[in-house]
Amino acid sequence: MDEAVRTRGLVKRFGQQTAVAGVDLMVPKGSFAGLVGPNGAGKTTTLSMCTGLLRPDYGSIAIDGFDVWTDPLSVKSRIGVLPEGLRLFERLSGRELLLYNGQLRGIPRAQVQQRAEELLRVMDLVDAQDKLVVDYSTGMRKKIGLAAALLHNPEVLFLDEPFEGVDPVSANTLVEVLQRYTGSGSTVIFSSHVMDLVERLCDWVSVMSQGHIVAQGPVAEVRQGRTLNEAFLDLVGARGHGDGEGLSWLGSR
Amino acid sequence: MIGTFVRLKLRLIAGSLRGELIRQLGFGFSIFAAVICASLGFLLFSLARFGAADLAVQVGAVVFTGAVLSWMIVPLLAFGLDETLDPSRLALFPLTTRQLATGLFAASATGAWPIASLVALFGGVVGLSRGLGGVLIGLVAVPLVFALCLVASRLVTTALSGALRSRRGRDLLAVAVVFVVLLTQLPNLVLNRGLPGDGMGMFRAAADALRWTPPGLAAHAIADGGLIGVLDLLILAAVVLLLGWLWILALRAALVRPDASNQGGSVRRSRRTGLLPDSRLGAIIAKELKYARREPRGRVAWFSAAAIGGIMLFSLNGTQNAQDAVNAPGFGLAVGPALIAALMIGVQSANTFGIDGRSLWMNAVAFGSDRDVRTDFAGRQLANFLISGPLLAVISVIGAVLGGNLLWAVPATLLAWCMLGLAMGTGALMSVLSPYTYPERMNAFSGAAPGQGGQAFVAGFGALFGAGLLILPVLIPTVFFAPWVSVIGAVYGAAVAWGGRRIAAKIGFRRFPELLAAVSRPT
Repeated sequence: MDEAVRTRGLVKRFGQQTAVAGVDLMVPKGSFAGLVGPNGAGKTTTLSMCTGLLRPDYGSIAIDGFDVWTDPLSVKSRIGVLPEGLRLFERLSGRELLLYNGQLRGIPRAQVQQRAEELLRVMDLVDAQDKLVVDYSTGMRKKIGLAAALLHNPEVLFLDEPFEGVDPVSANTLVEVLQRYTGSGSTVIFSSHVMDLVERLCDWVSVMSQGHIVAQGPVAEVRQGRTLNEAFLDLVGARGHGDGEGLSWLGSR
Repeated sequence: MIGTFVRLKLRLIAGSLRGELIRQLGFGFSIFAAVICASLGFLLFSLARFGAADLAVQVGAVVFTGAVLSWMIVPLLAFGLDETLDPSRLALFPLTTRQLATGLFAASATGAWPIASLVALFGGVVGLSRGLGGVLIGLVAVPLVFALCLVASRLVTTALSGALRSRRGRDLLAVAVVFVVLLTQLPNLVLNRGLPGDGMGMFRAAADALRWTPPGLAAHAIADGGLIGVLDLLILAAVVLLLGWLWILALRAALVRPDASNQGGSVRRSRRTGLLPDSRLGAIIAKELKYARREPRGRVAWFSAAAIGGIMLFSLNGTQNAQDAVNAPGFGLAVGPALIAALMIGVQSANTFGIDGRSLWMNAVAFGSDRDVRTDFAGRQLANFLISGPLLAVISVIGAVLGGNLLWAVPATLLAWCMLGLAMGTGALMSVLSPYTYPERMNAFSGAAPGQGGQAFVAGFGALFGAGLLILPVLIPTVFFAPWVSVIGAVYGAAVAWGGRRIAAKIGFRRFPELLAAVSRPT
């Protein structure tokens, strides 16, 4: 099985806190992979390190066999990124943002223009293409961000919480584009809290908890007959806090 | 409640220092500067004691008024000094407005610079009092003036906070700040227009007018030391209370005012894009030119550089007229304003990536080698020069015409371009060595992310100092004996800009993740 992403012993500490404690993430080529885990499990940190935005303390990362930190040139032309928080170049219009991004990656202007127009149409952003990104809504930002990430036709796409705060209509557009993209043999890795979505979209899932990968494989294998949500709660050992001891004061009048 | 707020402020300061050495050094430097300012201020103010009594009162009135005005204006101009709590973050806590107001008041009095101002102001007790009564009144008057500073400062920032929260309002206010700066230059200009040449008379006239302002009353009260002094203090206290009340009103309004909507209009598609090369460099130049126009920080920077140039032209010209143009520094008039403007513009590049801030990842994921970073620097420098080159030439030409010899415009322009190149070169280095985050919202509260004031200072000062030093070998011969050296100067400036961005790109590419983190801090 060809690997699109492979990390070995990835570790990242912030001061005293260990955010990622030896992660061996593996995603096969052509899969639609979900990276799930509770808040603070280290998903964002892992994705940032995979995309070369954050330097790991230990460990190695290979994308399509190229090491992220020793061969950045090969890696960066192969990946597209939509990070968390989604700060874009706010004072450009959506269209200008795409043009800038494409040219920054060395694609000739005419070709960028053509791709940008198609992407804007698919993402339903034609009406807003000349508005400044700073005035975009969350859904529009995610869409223009995804368009920018897809513009250079990467082989592997990293998306950090792409569906958070997105309305159902925009989410549907995103899903359609992504499914079409993986259908052609490219790889998507996205982090999410929404198990139903991961179960519906993904064929591969990696479950993180407290800086470790606790399960990883084809979705059916990880589920083992349960719903993904149940499997997830069992894996991260997070059941039973809500109705246990304490909080007796809550709601009592 | 007051204790909680003071502890919160102290904890915020301490928390912002955790981890990075350079911030701790910056903070140490900031404390050091505050101590120096406090002791020097105290000493100088005390010296008023040795002047005539009426002069001392006048000095006191001017100093006290100056303190209040700078407390009102400096947080707006924000050079990373003021890190006071933003009231909107506290809106959801069940605090009465009174608790909030006293708490924020206490928080804004906490910190090195507030204490430094208080100490310096106490110099007035030594300088102005002429007896025991004066000292006693002074011990009340100085804290009152200090309170006036804080309340006036808070009132201004809170009253403007509504405007600061909408995008358009922020954009507008940012530019308006430049006009505030211009306004503060007005007296200077008037003085330099060569009015009867009696600077002392002007000072006394101004001081006599200020005598009746609340801070002026404080100065008078300390000098008087008697019953009239007590009366002065009562008026001053009433003013403090009144401003405090207005502040509470503004605070109450600011906390419940809804966030203004961001319904932005469309931008025109640029027709000039076709003129730029179809390459990475062209794309970067196009983006930078748009940012210079659309990003308020960019607009402010350009407006202020042009304004400073204009002010210098105007005031130097005034000085020259006053001296009857016999030993007039005509050449200086051609060179000076353009040089200063060039330095101002160049120093903006001392935190090149700060303008991109948290959007910088978009470049980071595209840059695969130090060559890409170099292209990025080159694009930014070229875009800058496309605007500043002609601007500096215009300032030089005006200066030369006013100075009396149009030909001087040539060496002046070349020197200014040299200065610009030097500042860009050193600025590129500082951008990768001491990067910092501009606050996401260009707000009235701070000019760098909490705790990064030190880096901001190091970067700005480093670029300024470096360029100032590097220009000397060209500046001195050009001004004193060989104007043609300026031709070499322009080449030299370009070479330093080139070399600076080469080295900076090498360093910057290696530490891009760290750079990204430094310009993406939460603000």
